[in-house]
Amino acid sequence: MFSLFNKYKNGFITLLVVGTMYLLILFLHIDLALLFADFHFVGDLLNEMFPPNYSIIWETNVVFSSIVQTICMAYLGTLFGGIIGFGFSIIASNHIFNNKLISIITKWLLSFIRVIPSLIIVLIFVIAVGPGPFAGVLTIIISTIGTLGKLFTESIENLDPTSANSLKATGANKLQIFKFSIWPEFLPSFISNLLYCFDINMRSAVALGIFGGGGIGYKLYLSMRVLHYKDAVALITCIIVLLLIIENLSNFLRHKILGNK
Amino acid sequence: MIKKITRLFIISITILATYFAMKICGFQLNALNKGLLDSIFFIKQMFPPNWDDFKDLWNPALETIALAILGTFLGSILSFIIAIFAASNLSNKWVKQLVRSLISIERSIPELFILLILIAAYGLGSLSAVLALMIGCIGMLAKLFADTIEETPVAVIESLQAAGANKLQIIYFGIIPDIFPKLLSYSLFRFEINIRLSVMLGAIGAGGIGYELDYSFSMLQFHRALSCLIVVLVLIVIIEQISMFIRKKLAIQQL
Amino acid sequence: MIKAEGITKKLKSGKLLLNNISFEVRKGEFVGILGASGAGKTLTLKSLIGLMELTEGAVWVEQENNQHINIYKTSTRALKKVRSKIALIFQGYHLVQRATVIDNVLMGRLGTISTWRSLFFGFTAQEKTEAMMALERVNMQTFTNNRVNALSGGEKQRVAIARALFQQPNLLLADEPISNLDPKNAKTIMALLKELSVFFPVIGVFHQPELCAKYCTRIIAIKDGAIFYDGQPNIDEKTLEEIYGEELSSILQ
Repeated sequence: MFSLFNKYKNGFITLLVVGTMYLLILFLHIDLALLFADFHFVGDLLNEMFPPNYSIIWETNVVFSSIVQTICMAYLGTLFGGIIGFGFSIIASNHIFNNKLISIITKWLLSFIRVIPSLIIVLIFVIAVGPGPFAGVLTIIISTIGTLGKLFTESIENLDPTSANSLKATGANKLQIFKFSIWPEFLPSFISNLLYCFDINMRSAVALGIFGGGGIGYKLYLSMRVLHYKDAVALITCIIVLLLIIENLSNFLRHKILGNK
Repeated sequence: MIKKITRLFIISITILATYFAMKICGFQLNALNKGLLDSIFFIKQMFPPNWDDFKDLWNPALETIALAILGTFLGSILSFIIAIFAASNLSNKWVKQLVRSLISIERSIPELFILLILIAAYGLGSLSAVLALMIGCIGMLAKLFADTIEETPVAVIESLQAAGANKLQIIYFGIIPDIFPKLLSYSLFRFEINIRLSVMLGAIGAGGIGYELDYSFSMLQFHRALSCLIVVLVLIVIIEQISMFIRKKLAIQQL
Repeated sequence: MIKAEGITKKLKSGKLLLNNISFEVRKGEFVGILGASGAGKTLTLKSLIGLMELTEGAVWVEQENNQHINIYKTSTRALKKVRSKIALIFQGYHLVQRATVIDNVLMGRLGTISTWRSLFFGFTAQEKTEAMMALERVNMQTFTNNRVNALSGGEKQRVAIARALFQQPNLLLADEPISNLDPKNAKTIMALLKELSVFFPVIGVFHQPELCAKYCTRIIAIKDGAIFYDGQPNIDEKTLEEIYGEELSSILQ
């Protein structure tokens, strides 16, 4: 029984948790002294990072073109992933094809795609087409298929079947039912999910860049590799601003869509 | 009529944008065709996995899990403390705005970058990984926690205030007991994410099974790499299933 | 004893939310504050504990040593002490749902014990016994270890009153405590409040003039931010109409 003032029980639980964490710290051979004693490492690093070298933003073409490339990566990933994912979701939805087996297999396939870490997927594509933004886009497409596939399936299955059923009763075929009943109801959540995924994919695009995927993430990784920390800080500022803008834009548009339609 | 023109307009813009984007990203569809065959062939080469290796991979797998647990636990506590300042019913307008902005900024920093900075400061190893995961939690958990805190009915806070309790007491007795299952649920969700991150960060040098994976690849020991891969997949699936199960129970049963 | 003196709250736009409200309430009185929605009842109540900022006015509370303290002119530390002696119950949602009944009652004295002790050492056996006594007073002792979210509205309100009692207050304030309750439970709570007013003044905001007429010793009616009526609980229909205006039909059951 949960009692706020039972000092014995609370004390015991706290001890258990703290004890476990301490054991984990030991297991991982974490040297806590490093955290407090060697602050001068951090100091040295901060010295090397500041003042940041913002001149790379306007002096060279590097930053602008890599930002554009990253946005393109996210865009293409969301677009193609969305289309293919949508296709999958139609197959996977319960009442569209009336075949339970197909629905289950497709859903399982989508789950499988989601389980595989993007690290591994990007590895496969780097082997296939070499490092660079192309591999990055392909990775994002695959992971988007998984995410949007699931989101879309849920949206479709949550749709109110009454309008579809009434159309069916008037003799409309599957395609007509889709176009006139399912699609219009589905559209707001469709666009909303796309925008949400675009936000996520922008972050993936940046992160994958570090793995050789291209875009501004890659430039960031390069500059850290050669210890140009001042450049790195400038780049990370650009990334932060970019992602904040995209996040706010995405949220704003999603609110408008879900509010109006 | 206008609707049709707008629709056509949107579609043509989309096609144009897609074309240019593909150019910018270096799309080469024939390379993809050929390349896919290469990678499938490559994957076939990786089979069968080296069954002996599995016993060596226990320790790294546990390391990865330990990193994720520690990172999530510490990250949750840190995020909660930050969330107190980001909740409109617990802190004043300016502080709340500032803290929420900082949380958004943290959310925009890739965890990989945080790790790289920490490695530059503290070197390779578990400490940097745990700190990276811990700080990475903030962007998501602090926001979710703060939103949850704001859902507390005003009357609960005001009645404790009227009884003379100070802020710390109000938080500990009045707010935390009611939101605890939700906090736990969010933390478990973040734990699922952190396991994946732990693998990824491991590949960059943080240790654990991600490191083994990267190492096997660079040493061209592809069978071992496949073993690592299998361990990663099994790990992720098991953890996610357990986490989803617990979260479902939390949502229904209210513990 | 509590005394409101010239309480005024003016918005930046010039609108007067509270206009020179003054009254004094002593032990033995069960005061019901009535008024139309938005007339200023809850604001008045909140200013009595200092939860509302005032443009002008003072609230005097009598302390044990016969000293009178102005809530709006005391330091935070002293205010905490004063507040720990004022009990407050609301319409609903003011108990911690997932905590047990006895925990909620014990929370009443959080203002009097040090933060350190409350966080780490909980309450003494003596305090727990006194909490049980408070629960017995409201007839809820069988629910001691149950979670609040398993209780009905009337039971929750009784726990809230037990918490108030546990505070050993000088004064009890209630903000629409029976609005969520069915008539039977409402009457039980009103009777309980009347019994308690023997020990300390009880001031409550209500939307139920008939129940107030039956149980309160005095009624203060607020209209447009100012005191409209202050006197006997039996209000005639005409005065009621003036207090409530159009709402009257929805107020009377």
